[in-house]
Amino acid sequence: MTEQELLGQIQRLLGDISEAKGLDVPSIDANTELLDSELAIDSLDLASLVRELEEVTGFDPFKDGFIEFRTAGELAKLYVR
Amino acid sequence: MSESAGLGLEADDPVAVVACGTSVVTRGELKRRSDELLALLQAHGVQRAMVRSDDPVHILRALDAGSRAGADVWIAHSNIPNDFIDETTKQFGIQLLIGDSDELRPASTGTPANGRVHMMTSGTTGRPKVAVHSLPSLLSRVRAGANLPANRGGKWLLSYQPTGFAGVQVILTALLSRGVIVVPEDRSPAGFHEAVRQHGVTQISATPTFWRSFLLVVRPDTLELRQITLGGEAADQATLDRLKKAFPRARITHIYASTEAGVVFAVHDGREGFPAAWLQQPTQGIELRVRDGLLQIKTPNAMRGYATESAQPLQADGWLATADRCEINGDRVRVLGRQDSTINVGGSKVYPLAVETFLLGLDGVIEARVFGVPNPITGSLVAAEVVLEPGRDQKAARASILAACRERLAGYQVPRALKFVDKIDVQASGKKG
Repeated sequence: MTEQELLGQIQRLLGDISEAKGLDVPSIDANTELLDSELAIDSLDLASLVRELEEVTGFDPFKDGFIEFRTAGELAKLYVR
Repeated sequence: MSESAGLGLEADDPVAVVACGTSVVTRGELKRRSDELLALLQAHGVQRAMVRSDDPVHILRALDAGSRAGADVWIAHSNIPNDFIDETTKQFGIQLLIGDSDELRPASTGTPANGRVHMMTSGTTGRPKVAVHSLPSLLSRVRAGANLPANRGGKWLLSYQPTGFAGVQVILTALLSRGVIVVPEDRSPAGFHEAVRQHGVTQISATPTFWRSFLLVVRPDTLELRQITLGGEAADQATLDRLKKAFPRARITHIYASTEAGVVFAVHDGREGFPAAWLQQPTQGIELRVRDGLLQIKTPNAMRGYATESAQPLQADGWLATADRCEINGDRVRVLGRQDSTINVGGSKVYPLAVETFLLGLDGVIEARVFGVPNPITGSLVAAEVVLEPGRDQKAARASILAACRERLAGYQVPRALKFVDKIDVQASGKKG
């Protein structure tokens, strides 16, 4: 998947998470900071997001240890193959 | 400090003790509110009171006034269901609920109290276990840490659930060290970060999961952290290294503690696990050994007992058997995680059986298996396999099961991976495979 497609997936998954919490579905771009932003997501949500991305892409970029990411774009890049 | 001296607060003490947003409560104000509560306890002959609030002011005035009155105090999580609270207040004859408003409950006075503090393990499904402590024993546990020069007058972020064992530990340490308890207005990574920035937090005690998320939002050079503490889950080398790099001037400590054993030991050398030499000689007032690959502990700090059933049995020789699997590698012992089926989600324990029982109670579910899957953020996440009644629509069932879980379970207990399967294998042992 391309970075843009992965951003779309992140947008969709964040939408599911927000909807489940009864919140408005946020609009994100590559520069949206995942935790320190208007998104009301916590570390559990982020953990779920990462798990779902692994499911969608069949790839786990954290297999050999944690990699820093801050924005949606940085997270998307980790899954580009 | 005598049993009845409470927390040793003084009237007119202008030093801040709890800060949340722009609101600050001083030690003198806390003393005044505790005196009012003491008068209420005495006027109604209250022997047993329960505080059910995430506000440290309520927790502290309950502990202080309760101790001075010789009353027993229960500390209840704010997310425990009302029916469990009602049942507990009836069972133990609790006469006062302490919170934003203090509410007297009709109850027989029963047997006299003896100033015990009752704390609950987490458990939204399944019954919380109630551990019994005393205020002097809780205070003596935190006194050594509170007296460290680096901790005096610190600003402590309350990252843990305030009513849990670790939360109470942080609250009391901050109080004894004449520091400030900083309460986030919003318990999200962004909310924690905002509270840290706003109040100039200097000490943070939190789970490795908290730290991994916190590192994703923080600009380390804007903070002056003096003490970084990791607990609740095994601290891994990668997280310790990242913290050292981000906060080179802070002291970094990881601790091993449990509700049953109290705080067991603290490690300050920045390496995961603990020195193998500690298996040979007593350290920090406790003894450690490994039996059948599991850590065992001999400690004077063990709690006085469970008011309900025990999870970690005290053996006949006085050693406490934990379910934590260890690996000895050269001069180091690593704690690998729990031998039993407990899933550690970011420091919160999930009992698979409790979640399975919950799922089995839902419409259309005929079998369920709950287990942990590894996760880079929270260590583990809860996963579930479910067998539906024949003919059920999977899409509708998924939505209704997840909605029920979100409504009735704590966030960390909700299965984040839900898979429908045709059958769940049963092993020869009778356990689900």
